[in-house]
Amino acid sequence: MARLLTEAGFQVAAAVDDAEELLALVGGDRPDVAVLDIRLPPTHTDEGLRAALTLRRRHPEIGVLVLSQYVRVSYAVELLGGGVEGVGYLLKDRVSDLAEFAAAIRRVGSGGSALDPVVVEQLVSRHRQPDDPLIQLTGRERDVLRLMAEGRTNLAIAERLAIAERTVEKHCTNIFGKLGLEAGPHDHRRVLAVLRYLNA
Amino acid sequence: MTGRPWISTTAIAAPAVAVWLLLVMLPEARRDPLWALGAVVGASFLGTGIVAWRLHPRNRVGPLMAAVGIAWIPQQLLIGDGAPAPFVVWLGACGLWAGLACHLFLAYPTGRLDGLPSRVVVGVAYAESVVLPGASVAVRTDPPEPLGSVALLVDGVRWQTVVVTGALVVGLSVARWREGSAAQRRAVTPVAAASLIATVAFVADHVAAGWGWGTQPLFVYAMFGAFIAVPLAYLGSLIRRGIDRGRVADLVVRLRGGKQPGDLEGELAAVLHDPTLRVGYWTAGQDRYVDAEGSPVELPPKEDGRVMTRVDRGGARLAVLLHDAALLEQPLLVEAACAAASLALENERLTADLKARLRQLAASRARMLRWGEAERRRIERDLHDGVQQRLLSVAMTLGLAEATAHSGRRDGLIGEAKASVLAALDDLRAVSHGIHPPVLTERGLPGAVKELAAVTPVPVECVIGMVEPLPAAVESAAYYIVNEALANVTKHARAGRAWVRLARSEGRLVVEIGDDGRGGADPARGSGLRGLSHRAEANGGSLRLDSRRGGGTVLRVTMPCE
Repeated sequence: MARLLTEAGFQVAAAVDDAEELLALVGGDRPDVAVLDIRLPPTHTDEGLRAALTLRRRHPEIGVLVLSQYVRVSYAVELLGGGVEGVGYLLKDRVSDLAEFAAAIRRVGSGGSALDPVVVEQLVSRHRQPDDPLIQLTGRERDVLRLMAEGRTNLAIAERLAIAERTVEKHCTNIFGKLGLEAGPHDHRRVLAVLRYLNA
Repeated sequence: MTGRPWISTTAIAAPAVAVWLLLVMLPEARRDPLWALGAVVGASFLGTGIVAWRLHPRNRVGPLMAAVGIAWIPQQLLIGDGAPAPFVVWLGACGLWAGLACHLFLAYPTGRLDGLPSRVVVGVAYAESVVLPGASVAVRTDPPEPLGSVALLVDGVRWQTVVVTGALVVGLSVARWREGSAAQRRAVTPVAAASLIATVAFVADHVAAGWGWGTQPLFVYAMFGAFIAVPLAYLGSLIRRGIDRGRVADLVVRLRGGKQPGDLEGELAAVLHDPTLRVGYWTAGQDRYVDAEGSPVELPPKEDGRVMTRVDRGGARLAVLLHDAALLEQPLLVEAACAAASLALENERLTADLKARLRQLAASRARMLRWGEAERRRIERDLHDGVQQRLLSVAMTLGLAEATAHSGRRDGLIGEAKASVLAALDDLRAVSHGIHPPVLTERGLPGAVKELAAVTPVPVECVIGMVEPLPAAVESAAYYIVNEALANVTKHARAGRAWVRLARSEGRLVVEIGDDGRGGADPARGSGLRGLSHRAEANGGSLRLDSRRGGGTVLRVTMPCE
């Protein structure tokens, strides 16, 4: 992993074996991003996830990217419980696309988010109650929200959907309107929209 | 019962009856069939009364019967028509037997008068039985005024008062009969029926006399016949009870020795004279009856003359006897036999319950072994057809890339290999999920249940108490149960919301999954619920389903987890 990251142009401050060591080191080194596996020694259960939550509480300025062999909706909800800034949750498979993976790390490092499409898909496929405002979204608006939830910028969304960035912005305004998120700065609304999407 | 009380009782009753007969035969009298019948009435009451008194000294039925027999003497002398003028005193007392008979009828079979109405009616009957004949005597002797007018007045409403009192006696008797249990009714019916007929005939005789039809022989014969039937029926029930008690006593003695399981059924069959009798023991854990060997007992449909009698002990269900309908004729015998055998039944029930559990456990173990075997085969096949094939193709594609000089073609082959590896990873994920849900490894049961709730389309509320640590098998079973139950909620319940509750109490894990949907889930249909039940059983637990149509569904599983 360290080799892969170095190859992608990152500076690897340290590679550690377990969560305790990580938490001890992060305080001193102050890296931009910490990349963790969910399963870590000694029990190989959920040490990584718990370390990520601790890290987010203690050092909100440090981005946390959690990798796992499996993705779970409940873990995503837990990780994003404190907001979608500087957090990522991806399937380990994503490392196979180095460019995409590096982009995700950079987003998380600069206070953005990266959510695995599989998690987002599971959230989308859930049945919605008739009074859920998400029901009122058009198919296109839902596509935009989905990509927004993955952590992508308007420009990236526009590229992915092969539409103009202006159109994406128009969709965003519609989404915020339908979800009742009129007031506040633009970025804050973006976060709220995604959280609404995740917790629904 | 041994023969001795009977002998001593007869030794007292026979001379008493002889003296009685001598007494009524002393006066010069007409000796016709009616007189003879009357003599039998009195003698049978006296004799039976003495026998009953000896056998049940604390029951007043005996003394009352004997008293009726003695009070019959004036009546008997009256029939004889040999009552001369000096015997007007006899005439005055000649009705007393009717009051005593009322007392007897209403006090049967306990000997006590229960409740105010019975006591009032008996009091009225006693008063009438003295006053009415007294008034008749007074009218004949022409007493001074105002006694004569009063006597005339009372004598005038004689038959009406008899009708009212008779109706009250009949009404009370019927009411009491209806209050009794089926077994009690069957036991008292012969005596009660005879009493009833006698009362009605007595009233009819008075009505006939009151309307000026004179004495109707039909009514008198019916009355005497029914009167004779009362002590005879009582004697019959005494004898039958004695014989039955003897049989039950034998049963108690025979049950005292060490018995093999299944013998109890034979003993009960012998005592109750029903070789087809079967005993089913209640197993609370499985909610059904099993035989002594623990195999389920099929309860017969309501036909072919088979009847079920439930045996309880201390309010708890113990067993059920499946026997011939003819045994219903002897309810007290069946009751007594069950009471005598209840301790043995309880013992045998415990053994049967244990055997039933062993059977269930053996069946569940065999099922789990078969299931495990099939599961291993499936995993092997999945790995062989999926992951192995894909990795093989990766090796081949990379080998091809190695051998290719053309760089564009090589990049294409490498991309192909990467796609195959990712697909193999997907396959592996699916396989390992089938072996053991990863979320269970990572977060234990509470986390796994939250994940299941999070991916269920219906909103699910999780109430999770302190349940860990849990044995791996119980944790796994609980996970699959919640998984299947929530899948059922999604597929069938049409629910607006659902909940999952995990709790631990007294060394047992309680898993409850509920919804507010349409209910009506039937474990007999669909293998899903049966599978859940098997999973619970394999861990020594049990499953309860509460699913009324339109009332939502609650599935509750408890499994030991110490």
